[in-house]
Amino acid sequence: MSVQAAARTSSDAARASSDARLSVEQVSYAYSANPAQAPLFTLEATSFQARPGEILAILGPNASGKSTLLKLIAGALQPLSGRVLLNGFVTHSLSPKTRAQRIAMVQQESRMLFPSRAWEFVLQGRHPYGRPMRFETEEDVIIARNALAQVGAEHLSDRWMDQISGGEKQRVILARALAQQPLLLLLDEPTLHLDIGAQVDLLDALRRLAAENRYTVVVVTHELNLAAEYADQVVLLQRGKSLRIGPPASVYQRELLEQVFQTQLSVEPGSSGRPRVNVLSGK
Amino acid sequence: MQQELRLQVPRVACTAFVMLLLWTGSVRAQSSAPGPDLTSAGRDVVDEAGRTVRIRQPVQRIVSLAPSLTETIYALGLQDRLVGDTDYCDYPDDAQKKTKVGGAINPNLEQIAALRPDLVLVTKSLNRYDTVRALDSLGIPAFATDPHTVDEIVSSTERLAEILGAPESGKALALDLEHHLSDLKQRLAASPPRRVLFVVWAEPLISIGKDTFIADALRRAGAISIVDSAQGWPQVNLEEVVKLQPEYLVFATGHGETGARDIDIFPSLPGWRLLDAVRNRRFAVISDAVNRPAPRIVSAIEDLARQLHPEAFIEVQEKEKTEKEIPPKSALLSTNLAPRATEREIPSDEASPCAH
Amino acid sequence: MRPLTLQRLLLRCAALAAVLFVVVVIALKLGAVPVSLYGLGRDLIRVMLGQSSGLSTDYGMIVIDIRLPRILLGIVVGASLSVAGTSFQALLRNPLADPYVLGVSSGAALGAILAIIAEPHLAISPEFAALFTPLGAFLGAAATIAAVYFLGRREGQIDSSTLLLAGIISASFLSAIILFLMTTQIGRDMHGIAFWIMGDLSTPLQQKLRWVLGVGFVAAAGAIYTTASDLNLLLAGEKEAMHLGVDVPRVHLVVYIAASVLTGLAVSVSGAIGYVGLLVPHVMRFIFGSDHRMLLPAAAFGGAIAVVIADTLARTVVAPAELPVGVMTAMAGAPLFIYLLRRRFA
Repeated sequence: MSVQAAARTSSDAARASSDARLSVEQVSYAYSANPAQAPLFTLEATSFQARPGEILAILGPNASGKSTLLKLIAGALQPLSGRVLLNGFVTHSLSPKTRAQRIAMVQQESRMLFPSRAWEFVLQGRHPYGRPMRFETEEDVIIARNALAQVGAEHLSDRWMDQISGGEKQRVILARALAQQPLLLLLDEPTLHLDIGAQVDLLDALRRLAAENRYTVVVVTHELNLAAEYADQVVLLQRGKSLRIGPPASVYQRELLEQVFQTQLSVEPGSSGRPRVNVLSGK
Repeated sequence: MQQELRLQVPRVACTAFVMLLLWTGSVRAQSSAPGPDLTSAGRDVVDEAGRTVRIRQPVQRIVSLAPSLTETIYALGLQDRLVGDTDYCDYPDDAQKKTKVGGAINPNLEQIAALRPDLVLVTKSLNRYDTVRALDSLGIPAFATDPHTVDEIVSSTERLAEILGAPESGKALALDLEHHLSDLKQRLAASPPRRVLFVVWAEPLISIGKDTFIADALRRAGAISIVDSAQGWPQVNLEEVVKLQPEYLVFATGHGETGARDIDIFPSLPGWRLLDAVRNRRFAVISDAVNRPAPRIVSAIEDLARQLHPEAFIEVQEKEKTEKEIPPKSALLSTNLAPRATEREIPSDEASPCAH
Repeated sequence: MRPLTLQRLLLRCAALAAVLFVVVVIALKLGAVPVSLYGLGRDLIRVMLGQSSGLSTDYGMIVIDIRLPRILLGIVVGASLSVAGTSFQALLRNPLADPYVLGVSSGAALGAILAIIAEPHLAISPEFAALFTPLGAFLGAAATIAAVYFLGRREGQIDSSTLLLAGIISASFLSAIILFLMTTQIGRDMHGIAFWIMGDLSTPLQQKLRWVLGVGFVAAAGAIYTTASDLNLLLAGEKEAMHLGVDVPRVHLVVYIAASVLTGLAVSVSGAIGYVGLLVPHVMRFIFGSDHRMLLPAAAFGGAIAVVIADTLARTVVAPAELPVGVMTAMAGAPLFIYLLRRRFA
C-alpha cells in the first residue's frame, strides 16, 4: 500500500460511516462586553446535524450570528448551553492539536507577516500531526503535494503567496486545510473576494472534494444563489435566531427570505431543480 | 529512531565549540590572577573613597587616569615614574608625550595592563567605579583621591606623595602651597568677598555647587558664589541670577564657547544684558586650572584674587622681587593666563561639562 | 518543494559557527596590544589543559584575561539580543519590533541608575558591590516584564497589540523617569550611565554573573526554540494558528517571558546595545527564510558575529580610547536598515 493510501485509511473509516458526523445540539451563545450588562449579542439555541459528504450552508444577512455559529462548531468558542459533537466528541473540549486534526478552518484571506512560498504554506497544515520540535517527513511532503493537486494548484507550488491572484490564493488556503486531513471543513465567507468565475470554481471543488474524500463541509455565506446551488442543507439565521433548517427547496420560501433579507425578491425553480432567487429592484 | 540518533551527535558537535570557548574563559578566571605577586611586602592603605588598597613599594610605574592627578605627579617631581596617562592629560606639555590609555571615563584596559603599572591613580568624581572594579579583577591596585576643598587638595597631594614613596616632595609642596594660601588670606582679610557667578557653561547656564572644590577655591580668592545648590553642576535660572545681580562673572578659559574671546558676545545675549556685571563688563577670566583639583589651582586662585581685589595687591610688585626663589618643583605655580594653544574637545556625553 | 531538514539545519549552523570562529580569531588578534596567532593558539591550549601559570608572555595574559572574556560576553549578548528580537517580531507580529520595544531595557536602565544612586548609602560588602548594579538592572527588567505583562493582557491572555501598546508606553514613561534622575543627579557617578545606556562591553563580568548569563541564555533560548514551529504559524495570524493546533496562549506566555529574560540579562550586563535585535533577524531572514527552526539559531550566530565585530571596531577605531559598542552598531545599523527597507519595497 502506498504511503499516501495508508495515511488516509484511518480517516476514511471515520468518514465512511453514514451516521451524522456533526451534531449541533441546542447550542446557544451570548456575548457581552461587561458581565454585569445585558448581552450585546445572543445566539439562540439551535440544533442540526450534518453527514459525511454533505455541504451545509449557514445563510443570513450581516450580523446574524453566522460567524459565531461557525466558531462554535469549530470549538473555538464554548457554547452557553448545549454542545457541538464531532463523531461523538465535544469539539470544545478537545485539545487544540487534536481539534486541528479533525477540523480545518478556511479563512477568507491570509495575511502573512513575512510571505512564504505556497508549498511552505500548505505544509503548515501538517503541523497538528507533529511533535514540538520535529521536521516534516516525506509523508508530510506527499500529503501536501496531494492536497495542492486536489485543488488544482500544483503549478503554484513554488510561487510566493503575495504574488498570486486572489482565486489562486484561496485554492492554496484550501489545500492547506486539506493537508490537515480533517473530518470537518469549515469556510467563512470564502467567496467574498473572488470574482464569479473563481467562486464557481471553488464551490465546484468543494462539492467534488466532499464527495471524494467524504468531508463534511460547512460554509458560511450570504450568497443566496450559491448556497441554493451547492448546499445539501441550509441553516437560515436572522439576528441570532435560526428561522429554518433544511434542504434549499424547503428553506427558500419567498416570504421568509424577504423577511430575513429585507428586500423584494422572487423565488423560482432553476434549471438544476434547485431554487433560484431573483432580486427585484426597488423596495 | 534513526532521526533522533542523528539529532544527538551533530547537536553535541555544534555546541561543543561554544562550550569550549566558554570553558576557556571560565577556567582562566578561576586560576590565580595575573599581575604583581601579592605575597611580597605591601601595605594596606585606605584611599579617599574608603577602599582598602594594597600597595607594594617601590612604586615605579604609575598610570594616571585623571588630568589633575597627572599634574600633581609633575608638581611632585615624580614624572619619571609616570608611564601612562589619559588623552586629556595635557598639562604640562611633557604629559602629552606619555603613553595614552584612552579617556578618563573609557580607558582601554588592555593598554593599562600592557604598561604593567604598580599603581593606577583615579579620582572618585571623574573616573568610573566600573574601571576600578575591572582593575581589581586584574590584580592591579588603584588608589582614588576625592578632594572637596582646597585644603583637601593640599592634604591629598601630600598623602599621594607619601604613598608613592616620596614624602619629602609632598611636604615641601604642601608647605609652599599653604604659604601662598595664607599670604592670600592675609591680603584679603580687609576686603569683603565679592559676589560672583562662576559660569561653567552659558547655554544652558550651568554653575557650580556649594560643596565643590571650585566653590571653595572661589572663597579663598575672596569671592563667594551666588549659587547655593547641593548639586555638583546645577543648571541655574537666568532670572534668579538677574535678581541676585552678581558683581562679577567668572570664566575659566579652555572651555570652548566661554573662553576669553567669546566674552564679547555676552552683552548682546538676551537676558544677560540685564546683569550689571555684563553691562559694566565686570568679567574675571582665569585659567582652567581652577577646574582641576591639583596644586596649580592655587595660582588660579591668586590670579582671581588679583582681578577681584586689585587694591589688596598694590604693593605686590616690590614684594615679589624680594621673595625667595621658588623651588623648581613648584615652577608650575607660576600664573598661566594665556589660553591653551590647543583646546581639547570635551565629549558631550560626560555629565559634568568640565574636566578636572 | 524542499522543507527544512535537520541535516540542512545543522550544516548551515556549522557554516555560521565557522564564520563566528574566524571573527573571534580576528577579534583576538586586534587590539591595543599586539598578538601573534601562534602564541595565541599555544596559550589557549595551555589554558584548556589547566596550565595557566605557564603562559608565554604578559601580552598573552592580557589577551586571555581581558580580550577573550570580552569577546565571549559579546557573543552571548549578541546572541541573546538577536534571539529576543526575532521572538518579539513573531510574537507582536511586527517587523519593527526589537528587544527593547516592550520597555525591558528602560526598566533595566532605571534599576541600574537606582542602584548607582543607592549604593553609597547602603553598607555593602565589596564582593557584593560589584554585583549590585547588574542586580539592580535585572530587578528593574523583571519588574517591567511583569508590569507590561499585566497591562498587556486582554481577557486574561496576552494580546499582541495590547502588549505592544503597553510596552511602548512603559518604555517612554520609564525613559522620562531616567532623564529626570539624570538631570537632577548631575555630579554623581552618572558618567557611567551614559556609556551604559549606549551599550558597553568594556567592563569585565564577575565570575558568578558569567554563569548566570550563560545558563540563562541556554535555558531561555532553548525554551523559545521549542516553540519554533508554532511561531511559524503565528506569523499567519493568531486565529489561524489556533485553528492549526497551536496553543496560542501558552506560546505567547513562554515566548514573552523567555525573550524578556534574554533581553533583561543582556541589558543588565552590557547596557542597551541597539540595532542588533532589530536588524540581525531581518538579515538572517533575508538569507535563510522565515522558518524559525532555522531562523532562531541563525539569528543567535548572526547576533554574536555582529556584536563581536562591532565591539572590535569600537575598541580599535579610536585607540587607545574606546567608543561604546552601541555607537558602532548604530552607525552600521542605520544605513543597513534603510537599505533593507528599500529592498523590501523595491
